[in-house]
Amino acid sequence: MLWKKLFRTLWVYKAQFISMVIMIAIGVGIFFAFNVEWYSLEKDTAEIYEATGFADFRVYSDRGFNDADRDAVKAIDGVKDVSRFFAVNTTVENDSDVIALSVSENMNISGVLVMDGEDFDSESPDGLWLSDSYAKANDMHIGDTMKLVYKSVTIEGTVKGLVKASEYLICLPDETQLMPDFRSYGYAYVSPVMLQNAVNKLMPGANINDFYPRIYATSDMEKAEFVKKLDEALGKTYLVLDKDETVSWSEAQGEIGEGKTMGSVLPVLFLAIAILTMVTTMHRITASEKTQIGTLKALGFRDAKILRHYTTYAFAIGVLGTILGIGIGFALAWYIMNPNGAMGTYIDMPSWRLYVPWFCWLVLALMIVFLTTIGFLSVKKMLRGTAADALRPYTPKRMKHMWIEETKTFKSLGFGIKWNLRDCLRHKSRSGMTLFGIIGCTILLVGGMGMSDTMDAFMDTFYDKAILYETRIFLDAENTDNATAETIAKQYDADWCAQRSIQIGDKGFALEIYNVPKGLVCFPDQDQEFFELGDDGAYICGRIARDYSLSVGDSITFSPYDSSETYTVPIKGIVSAMSESIVMTSAYADKAGIPYTISTLFTKETEIAASEHILSSQSKKSIIDSYDTFMELMNVMIVMLVIAAVILGIVVLYNLGVMSYTERYREMATLKVVGFKNRKIAGLLISQNLWLTVVGVIIGVPAGYGVLKYLLTALASEYELKLVLGPATYLVSVLLTFMVSLIVGLMVARKNKHIDMVAALKTEE
Amino acid sequence: MSIVEFKEVSRVYKNGDHEQWALNHINLSLEEGKFVVILGPSGAGKSTLLNLLGGLDNPTEGTIVVDGRDISTLNSNEMADYRAAKVGFVFQSYNLIPTLTVIENVALVKEIATNPLSSHDMLEAVGLLDHKHNFPSELSGGEQQRVSIARAITKNPKILLCDEPTGALDSETGVTVLKLLLSMAREMNKTIIVVTHNQNIAKMADVVVRVKNGRIQSCEEQANPLSVEEVEW
Repeated sequence: MLWKKLFRTLWVYKAQFISMVIMIAIGVGIFFAFNVEWYSLEKDTAEIYEATGFADFRVYSDRGFNDADRDAVKAIDGVKDVSRFFAVNTTVENDSDVIALSVSENMNISGVLVMDGEDFDSESPDGLWLSDSYAKANDMHIGDTMKLVYKSVTIEGTVKGLVKASEYLICLPDETQLMPDFRSYGYAYVSPVMLQNAVNKLMPGANINDFYPRIYATSDMEKAEFVKKLDEALGKTYLVLDKDETVSWSEAQGEIGEGKTMGSVLPVLFLAIAILTMVTTMHRITASEKTQIGTLKALGFRDAKILRHYTTYAFAIGVLGTILGIGIGFALAWYIMNPNGAMGTYIDMPSWRLYVPWFCWLVLALMIVFLTTIGFLSVKKMLRGTAADALRPYTPKRMKHMWIEETKTFKSLGFGIKWNLRDCLRHKSRSGMTLFGIIGCTILLVGGMGMSDTMDAFMDTFYDKAILYETRIFLDAENTDNATAETIAKQYDADWCAQRSIQIGDKGFALEIYNVPKGLVCFPDQDQEFFELGDDGAYICGRIARDYSLSVGDSITFSPYDSSETYTVPIKGIVSAMSESIVMTSAYADKAGIPYTISTLFTKETEIAASEHILSSQSKKSIIDSYDTFMELMNVMIVMLVIAAVILGIVVLYNLGVMSYTERYREMATLKVVGFKNRKIAGLLISQNLWLTVVGVIIGVPAGYGVLKYLLTALASEYELKLVLGPATYLVSVLLTFMVSLIVGLMVARKNKHIDMVAALKTEE
Repeated sequence: MSIVEFKEVSRVYKNGDHEQWALNHINLSLEEGKFVVILGPSGAGKSTLLNLLGGLDNPTEGTIVVDGRDISTLNSNEMADYRAAKVGFVFQSYNLIPTLTVIENVALVKEIATNPLSSHDMLEAVGLLDHKHNFPSELSGGEQQRVSIARAITKNPKILLCDEPTGALDSETGVTVLKLLLSMAREMNKTIIVVTHNQNIAKMADVVVRVKNGRIQSCEEQANPLSVEEVEW
């Protein structure tokens, strides 16, 4: 019989029941989604790293490594396996597409995973194992032939297999590109035999075994230890990058880190609101059920049975909300983590299985236990004392006088304001929860839209304002001296830049030396204001400044790779940069005696003639395209956050609004009997909501700003973002919050019409 | 002159196929300024009668004319205006707003009344001026009922409707409240209609209406009603 009662009770409190289930489902869903996302990403990327033997260390040499160098590295104690690696950007013949042509001497290290076609053949003279994503984007198939151009050599091959490679897990041509674009950039692996054939055309008689530019190694050693042993083994210092310094590892780890941050910040907000609302809701439900609880007790039901009966309600909310939340979580996680989803456009990996971290199950189980305990304690409170005590209806706290009532201002307030103000103070937890819900809603709106503003400003600074050139030309630095480069620059009316890899301590960075008299590349400071580079010092990026605790006036010491020289330069300023780099003018580099080779030209021209000195060129448009894809993804996230914020706001406010309405039913019936019209009573109810919204917004906007700042700090390792909140964001966040509050107020106030004055006034208080 | 006129009024509650006639074709006419007691056992229909008169409910059939206006067909807003202007309520369970102080509870009706009296004077009249800043929960039951009377009269209505006004009070307090109610009403020429099942209150009335099974059994004028002191409680 009690079961029947349980279902009927559920029906009576359906508004509360449904809203609690939704709240918990959203909280659990978001918690689950982010945690499944980062954990699956970790597992799925680990799978391809493992399957393709992703190298732990990359050793670079301009001169190349011969067989003896390779064997010496392999012989190092602690090195598991090595491979010499070669990669060069080639252009597809009669096309502007760029293919990174790659050779791994030992395919067990940074090799490929064949998705379709033949197994990789290390002896194949003409086989291309092409990126399957590039093939798909360009409608290429196994058996197709491809002509790749490098300098004056054309390499022709047949696509024998479609592959994925951990080395190109995030397939970006350079650091200005935010998103892979397989329509124009891909990679292909070929055998050393085929590479030798190509080399023969370029440099007859040369043996590739003498100049592989990289050695890749797998090892469990720390970088410092590896570098020390390497120096000993090769008798010379080389540029060594560990996994953390390669895009395909660090960016993926960055995504995992972001997921972890998001998975710990946002769900806490949602779950905290859900739990606190549950406390208020369960208390109010049991309070209004107190006479029934007393009746059951008076009839002879044991406390345990009554406890079980009412606790089941909380348990059902917990279980249903959690199950629904898991569903939402999986759906959201899948939405992000699928080959065609947000992550799929960024990371090119074969397996997109979803994994749930173990602690998620634990948290969910604890959540259900916790919610059930809330229910248990609420009922327990109502069961206190004898059956007669339990039978007495619940009496809310007595009104107490507040100091504020003695003030003239308070005395002059209208009755509606006094009524609402005292009601808020009398039912502090309910008002507090309403406030909390509004604050949460505002935080999400400000945070979500602020993120979009910040990214917009970031993109605007780095793409629209900093890039004033139309085309970037990559020179063949090996075979172009500075004089030739300057001649070409003059021809295209171009600014130029030289890049060198440098080390600060044992970490690798880029040194960028600019000569920009035409102002085609601009430099923003940390406030994203543009300034001109001076000729009397270096400029470091924000991340280097932060990591090494450096500021303007300090000096910084670095050494170029492949050089035993060290340079100490004064820091003139801190720039905002896409990559972790030190920037200086060529005039200063000359003054400081830092040698460089011009490698990139920036020009307004769009037609670039073929030249033996030019490797490739890239249009501003192709850079902007990747930015658009990135912004689209960003916007999807923002829309999801805004929807979540609005649902959260509506659910919390409606639930509490209905409770408030139920509790004040008798008061409203009295007002109605006395002669107040429905409109006026609705006005009273709505105005309370609106006040709380005013307070909620006043707290929520700065809190949203704070949360956004925290998130940006957490993401700071990837981008140098400056928090920007546009007036429209403030306006829309505030208006949307008020709209939610007003809509819910109207929904609740509509019930006024159905107040049964007669029945309400018969009841005892 | 009659202030209240019920003509062939019925109120039927439908519950599925079952019809319950709470009032069954009643006719009643009450004079202005009288103290009317409606008597009857539980379920007789006396509260329904009071609810219809108070504009809390509409009759199923028939017309109710109060102070020259037919109230049986008013819509929700017109009903609210009617309640605000014509009738004051005193309930068994006081129905004060717990979050407003005594003076605020009384002054509340000024928001809607067309011709309200001074809430201060009314509180003084019910002897609770000293408690004006107290909340209802800080008062005794009798005191709360006096506040509710002050609230009802502040609206300056023509008719005071009282549903078991002493039902929740001990007899001594009940007598005080009744005395106050009567003296104030007489002083201000209000029509008082009290619904009760307490026969003793009927002895004080100018008119006694007896209701049973949804019909008026009798409507008698008492030539010499007793004073509150004369009634044996």
